[in-house]
Amino acid sequence: MTTSILDIEHLSKSFGHKQVLKDVSFGVQAGHIIGLVGPNGAGKSTIMKAILGLFNYPEGKIMVDGEVVSPTSHQSMDEVGALIEYPGIYPFLTGYQHLHLFSKKTTSDTQVMDIVRKLRMDAYINRKAKTYSLGMKQKLGIALALVNNPRLVILDEPMNGLDPQSNKDLRNLILSYARSGTTFLISSHILSELEKLIDDIVVIDQGQIVYTQSMVTLESGSKKLLAFKTSDDVKASHILAQHGYQLDKSGGVSVIENGQNQMADMINLLTGNGINIEDVQHVHNDLETILLNLLKDDQVKGSK
Amino acid sequence: MITLVKQECFKLLHKSSTYISSATLLLLMTALGFLSKYYPGSWGKPEIQFVQLFAGIYWIPLFMIAACSSIIAMEFQYGTIKELLYRKYYRGQILISKWITMFLYSVYFFSVSLAWSLVIKAVLFNDTFKLSDQYNNQLTIIHANILIIIGSFLVLWMILSLVLLLANVFRSTATAISIGIVGYFGLYIIEGMMIKIMNRWEWLKWNPLNILNLPLQLTEPNADKVTLLSTPEMVGACLGYTIISLVLSYIVFKRRSV
Repeated sequence: MTTSILDIEHLSKSFGHKQVLKDVSFGVQAGHIIGLVGPNGAGKSTIMKAILGLFNYPEGKIMVDGEVVSPTSHQSMDEVGALIEYPGIYPFLTGYQHLHLFSKKTTSDTQVMDIVRKLRMDAYINRKAKTYSLGMKQKLGIALALVNNPRLVILDEPMNGLDPQSNKDLRNLILSYARSGTTFLISSHILSELEKLIDDIVVIDQGQIVYTQSMVTLESGSKKLLAFKTSDDVKASHILAQHGYQLDKSGGVSVIENGQNQMADMINLLTGNGINIEDVQHVHNDLETILLNLLKDDQVKGSK
Repeated sequence: MITLVKQECFKLLHKSSTYISSATLLLLMTALGFLSKYYPGSWGKPEIQFVQLFAGIYWIPLFMIAACSSIIAMEFQYGTIKELLYRKYYRGQILISKWITMFLYSVYFFSVSLAWSLVIKAVLFNDTFKLSDQYNNQLTIIHANILIIIGSFLVLWMILSLVLLLANVFRSTATAISIGIVGYFGLYIIEGMMIKIMNRWEWLKWNPLNILNLPLQLTEPNADKVTLLSTPEMVGACLGYTIISLVLSYIVFKRRSV
């Protein structure tokens, strides 16, 4: 049985006259990795800050591990690690001193160095942070969020400034923490990286949740296409349609895969009608395409 | 709270400015010791310099203003304020831990200055005066020295509480420090004019600038003729202004968005 570690109910927030969050509600199951995605200014960082109790909100309720969170109610934050917007780094301290500064008494030096190794920070961990590059600072910010082995980790654009190897290291690190029960709420614009990680997705646009779903459901609901490049696309489309294949309206000769239609049959059909096939590809909608479609259509869906 | 104070002390101890400030203070005090020994006519009698910690009571506020401005403004400048605020501690605890750290730092500065003054006295003025010599009609040198330290400490905290309030407003450490130090000098410039104005409007005797004379009043019995306040009144007003500024600082910090 899964339990909820984070629940947000009817959260609203305005800055001045601008309402930045409108009746936001969603829940996060313990041990899941949740992607919080949406366009710039949609309210992702604001939600994350609210979860961390960084400001008052006039309406709604946020519960972390069953305890209400607000600027005046912070006890559950003891089990939360976070990186919000950009890493907060003291230039006069080394990376190791940062980790030492924010580690709990129960966090051993072995745990600290384990994170350092996993993020490949060994070479510069004892250098002053003022000499760090953007990527190095980002890794330190991630290490600070993870150092106390929290139950809930909130990462706002954690892939910012990371090179491909570091992205892979981070992905492996997140997955290994998740396997041991840590819950992650991650926002990122690098959707190709995010989709390799997340179990569930929450889409926000203009301060409103427009979609919440598990990735399994999302992917099963997305179209898989078989795209042909032929010597006569018009004729090919006509023949395929005549034989009951469902064509996608996106253009070209794209057949919607339904599990029954076989690529070999279609190839035989087309070549049998004198059409030369130059190329065939399986096309699968990635998270970016799905998200863009969602935001374009402005679909508002209920949660799971 | 102890953890937070330890964290603040950790940061303070790893800033190079902490050591530079201490070394600069000791150098300036030593320089004044030598100047006072060889040019007492121009740089003041050694016993007066000793009582004033070889100008330590004037330098310490500058270093403390810089430290107090920085301890809050740097968290906003470096973006580390979020790291502090999202953890299990409350905003009030975080701010108070910073006050406590600065209080300990100011005690450290006065302790080091007193110890170094005694060293300077022993090395340069061992035969010139004794600590038990009369400073004025009522006080010995060491007695006057202790009263000056107490008065300067109280006045320093009245100023620092205002600096801690202003530091809440600025996001840049450099701006906060600059305004703090310029304001400190400005206070002493205005203070001279204020004494003249007070003779005309007596209620102005309660203004904070007049309270800056507390160290003088503690060692000069007739100073109340100028300040128009008794010593207990001055101490009370000094503590009152400090508390008001700290409370305002607390309110501003709790409401400040991050």
